[in-house]
Amino acid sequence: MLALLKVAGNSLEPDFIEGDFVLVSKIPFFFRPIRPGDVIVFNHVLYQTMIKYVERFEPETGEVFVVGTHPASIDSHIFGPIHLGAILGKVIFHIRKKRV
Amino acid sequence: MLYGLLSKIDRLVGIKPAKAHCDIPCGIYDPHQAQVAALTVIRMLDLMADLTNAQKTPTLEYHNSISRQIAVKEEHAELVKREVRVIWGDYMKQEHMDKYPELPGLVHKIMQLGSKCRQGVNRETAMELLAAVNRFAEIFWDTKGIATKRVKAPYKPGEEIVYPVL
Repeated sequence: MLALLKVAGNSLEPDFIEGDFVLVSKIPFFFRPIRPGDVIVFNHVLYQTMIKYVERFEPETGEVFVVGTHPASIDSHIFGPIHLGAILGKVIFHIRKKRV
Repeated sequence: MLYGLLSKIDRLVGIKPAKAHCDIPCGIYDPHQAQVAALTVIRMLDLMADLTNAQKTPTLEYHNSISRQIAVKEEHAELVKREVRVIWGDYMKQEHMDKYPELPGLVHKIMQLGSKCRQGVNRETAMELLAAVNRFAEIFWDTKGIATKRVKAPYKPGEEIVYPVL
C-alpha cells in the first residue's frame, strides 16, 4: 500500500529533482479518481518504474496520459498512454533534497 | 533532517528509483526527423499560400484549414529545434566542435530560423532552415564516417534532402 522511492532524472524539474524521495500509495484513489495534475508512479515495460504528472485520464479505456515538465521528457508523447493497471500509486508525500 | 535520514537509509539498503528520465541514453540519434520536420514547414507554407490565393472571400472552411496548417507549421518548426538540440546536447562532443568549427554557429542558426518559421510565413526562411538542417545532417553522418548524398525528396514539397549512403 505504501512505497518509498527515490527520484532519478530531471524530467519533473523544478518540482521534483534527482535525489528527492517520494512516498507513494494507491489509497488516495479509493477516495478520488485519478485526475490531471496528480503525480503518479507506474511500471513501464521498457522504462521500468517511472514518475510523471497525469495529463489526462480516459475512464472508458482506462488509459492515462502522463507527462513531464521538461521538454525532452520521456512520457506519453513518446510511448503513448499507460494503462490504469500499471499505476503503483500517487505521490502522497514529497521529501525534498536541499535546493541550491 | 528527514531527508538526511532517508539518504542514510538509501546508502545502506538502496531505495528503489522512480525514473523521471528525459532521454534514455540509448545511443540512437538521427537527424532525419529534423529534416522531415523542416520539409513539413515548407509544405505547410505552400498549402497556406495555395489556399489563400484560391480563397478570395474567407469562409469558415478556410479559417479551419488555415488554422490547422498554422498549427502544424508551429509544431514542426519546434520539432526541428528539439531534434537538433537533442543531437547537439547528447551526441556532439568537443572533438566534433574541434573538427567542425562551424557547428556551434550552425546549431544557433537553426534555433533562430526555427523560431522565425514559427513567427512568420516566409518561404525563404523555411528554405534557409532546411538548408541549415541538411548541413547539420551532413556533419552528423560525417562524424560517423558515413558519406551522404543530396536528393530531391520524393514527396511534396520536393526540396533537397540529405540522406546517408548506407
